[in-house]
Amino acid sequence: MIGNFFDQFWSLTFGGLSLGFIYILIALGYTLVYGVLRMINFANSEIFMVGTFATVIVIRDVFKFTQSSEYATGLRLWFILATALVISMLVSGLLSLVVELVAYRRLRRRNSGILAPLISAIGVSMVLAESVRIMTDSRPVAAPRAMDKAFIGQFFDAGIRLDNTIIVIAALALFIALTTFINKTRMGKAIRAVSMNPNAARLMGINIDGVISATFLIGGLMTGAAGFFYVLKYENTASSIGFELGIAAFTAAILGGIGNIKGAFFGGLALGLLETYASFFLGTQWKAVTVFIVLVLVLYTRPNGIFGESMTQSRV
Amino acid sequence: MINLRDKGAEVWEKSGRPARVAIVLASIAAVAALPFMGGTILNTPVASYESVLVNPVAMYVLMAIGLNIVIGKSGLLDLGYVAFFAIGAYTMGLLGTKTDLNTWEILPIGIAMSMFAGLILGVPALKLRGDYLAIITLGFGEIVRIIALNLGPLGRSEGIQNIPTPPPIFGFEYAFDSHRIYFWTLLVFILLAIWMVRRLSARRAGRAWESIRQDEDVAELLGVPTFKYKIWAFVLGASVGGAAGVLYASKTLYIAPDNFTLQISILILACVVFGGMGNIWGVILGAVVLAYLPDRIRFLSEARLLVFGLVLVIMMNLRPDGLLPRKKREKAIVTKEKS
Amino acid sequence: MTEPLLSLKNVTMKFGGVTALNDVSFDVKPQEILGLIGPNGAGKTTIFNVITGVYALTSGVISFEGESLAGKKRYKITRSGIARTFQNIRLWGDMTSLENVMTATDTHKKSGLLSGLFGMPISRREEKRDKARAQELLDFIGIGEFSDRLAKNLPYGVQRRLEIARALGTEPKLLLLDEPAAGFNPAEKVELADTIRRIRDAGYTVLLIEHDMSLVMKVSDRVVVLDFGQKIADDLPKAIQEDPRVIEAYLGVPENAS
Repeated sequence: MIGNFFDQFWSLTFGGLSLGFIYILIALGYTLVYGVLRMINFANSEIFMVGTFATVIVIRDVFKFTQSSEYATGLRLWFILATALVISMLVSGLLSLVVELVAYRRLRRRNSGILAPLISAIGVSMVLAESVRIMTDSRPVAAPRAMDKAFIGQFFDAGIRLDNTIIVIAALALFIALTTFINKTRMGKAIRAVSMNPNAARLMGINIDGVISATFLIGGLMTGAAGFFYVLKYENTASSIGFELGIAAFTAAILGGIGNIKGAFFGGLALGLLETYASFFLGTQWKAVTVFIVLVLVLYTRPNGIFGESMTQSRV
Repeated sequence: MINLRDKGAEVWEKSGRPARVAIVLASIAAVAALPFMGGTILNTPVASYESVLVNPVAMYVLMAIGLNIVIGKSGLLDLGYVAFFAIGAYTMGLLGTKTDLNTWEILPIGIAMSMFAGLILGVPALKLRGDYLAIITLGFGEIVRIIALNLGPLGRSEGIQNIPTPPPIFGFEYAFDSHRIYFWTLLVFILLAIWMVRRLSARRAGRAWESIRQDEDVAELLGVPTFKYKIWAFVLGASVGGAAGVLYASKTLYIAPDNFTLQISILILACVVFGGMGNIWGVILGAVVLAYLPDRIRFLSEARLLVFGLVLVIMMNLRPDGLLPRKKREKAIVTKEKS
Repeated sequence: MTEPLLSLKNVTMKFGGVTALNDVSFDVKPQEILGLIGPNGAGKTTIFNVITGVYALTSGVISFEGESLAGKKRYKITRSGIARTFQNIRLWGDMTSLENVMTATDTHKKSGLLSGLFGMPISRREEKRDKARAQELLDFIGIGEFSDRLAKNLPYGVQRRLEIARALGTEPKLLLLDEPAAGFNPAEKVELADTIRRIRDAGYTVLLIEHDMSLVMKVSDRVVVLDFGQKIADDLPKAIQEDPRVIEAYLGVPENAS
């Protein structure tokens, strides 16, 4: 078993890295919203799921790929991929905005405590997940492969697949774009101000509602991108994957320190690798348990995560 | 609906002891007579009215009362309540099929197992703040299901079959289709649960839970041993869930991991939210409505979970107090007299 | 020389880079009324927070009746005899005044959940006794008629007084009052001063944070002054009023602000 593991180490690692980047993007959805609202956006997992379906619809219905289609190449391929990515991002981003308006805004105004938004978020998750489940008849949906997942290189005996490479590079680019946005633009600074001290931000004239909407939008964009990458890598989706990946991505965010963007990066990669290795040893049926064990370990040994805030602070 | 409730409260306040006893007995008799009042109009597309009264109606009511202790009274968001239900059910399933024990003997064991689970979940989890508690409890519920799904002795995905029905008690015999008997059995447990909750609410525990729900930090500073009482809430809530699980298994005679999904936790949550968090009568009403209606109205039945999700969002935004808000202690009579 | 009831020795409290309290030392003598004043942000509420165990001290020792409070759980600190009110009213709004105080009186009950559930005589006795005590406390503070009203529906002045009654419910030896006169008009402040004196006369010790100078000076036996987390004066009210360091700290705030 161990021997086998070392043989496959690099190929497992590359797979784990691309999964990790998917987690990073979903984790960003959680962490950004947590940063400004100190609330877990439960619905983020279903926003991811909807993003995956958007990708499938683009590839299958817009570009009319089927299982037996020829692979796209060259410029046409990049065009297709880019379109699918952008559309997934937009769909998820807009959905995220809508969720904030419908499920959270009113409760935020009324200052109704922590329980109410949480329950509302759970309700939204259910509505989204169930709607899609009913539409897909509870069956997984296959995404036709649009590209040749050729090996574009070798590293120590392990082949480097094109799709994993695209995912890592594109996701990294998105991450860098996000951090640049947060650090260099006005809105980015406003978001940081609100996450540090909402009252002071309001007194400085920052439009809190606008910032929060923008945060949900950006979080949704990142999560939608993750949806695209997921379909690219795994070639299928189902109404239930929101829940499956959501918990893992959320754990990643906590591991890195929720509310902290650096943390989401570290946590996402760590969890992607961890999960891949664990699946190799334990089999995939214990995946969820592994993730939860990680979550429990983090919360009880280092609740701040690597870079973040304490989860047991009282407020007096 | 509000006026009815207040009027009812007024009548109750004004009544002396004997009148109150009469009201209680009459109510219990009315509820016990429910199985006879159905007729075919109230049947649902999939099951007879009597069957539905037991499962899901009475089941949901019992579980909602249990979850209400945790969420409604103490303000602790437990998203993994189904775990206690599962533990009770699997205890019944395992012991019922592998030993000579009968339902009544297994019942205390099942309840104890659930309470123990509540304890081991609670001790670490209740140190965390609200949203993190929610996630951890959700995880716990899922882990219990996954363990049931993957462990040989628990039957993996096939679960456990041929669970025995309870032996006759007080002359009543339990067969797979003797819905009325099961209903009355569940009714006994529901009444026990109601008694327990009402009893505790009027005393130290009730005050402790309320103060924790409203402002835990301040409660601690005013001498309330908050951790201890949070654990109690968890453990008592678990005991009710476990009892429901044991009875469930001994009625359906066949259980599988699919019966204990996250959706069930959310369903019971919806009952509590819809009915009125903290108010036991509201919770019961909510459970009755949400358990019965989706089964009755065909298209709702398919989209049951969707409806429940909508219920959660709509209730939280428009009527967070639920159908029957927490009891208004401002008794109209009292203030009138004093002014 | 009587043993101090509460003793702070070299108490320092740092939050990350911010030093909220810097080497603060003072005592509270039994049955005295000690006023704690200082400009905004001087660290007064932080003092309350470290005494009641909300924060763990960075360094220094706080002892109550000779025993260190370090590492003690908050509810145990309350049980040993320290209770407080809050700057922003933090009542349990959905409970009645009586229930608010009864939750506090639960602190010293011997009966718990199980004896309550099974109707054990001790539970019934204690419940009856504490209910009467709670009403007694409400009457003592002067809000007895509001016992059945929900705390969130009470007028502001009643709420402030309920906070005090509730704190008294825990049978404290030391009562910490955090700006009990905030928002009061002059007549109410006079009544409050009277109430505080009555509390002391009934055997309690009071540590009082207040912004209203005249109230503090009138009611306190001694006054401790904080500024930027440090103690700058610790003396009789008269002396404090004339202390140049104190006057400087407040930069010309007039002696009586009402």
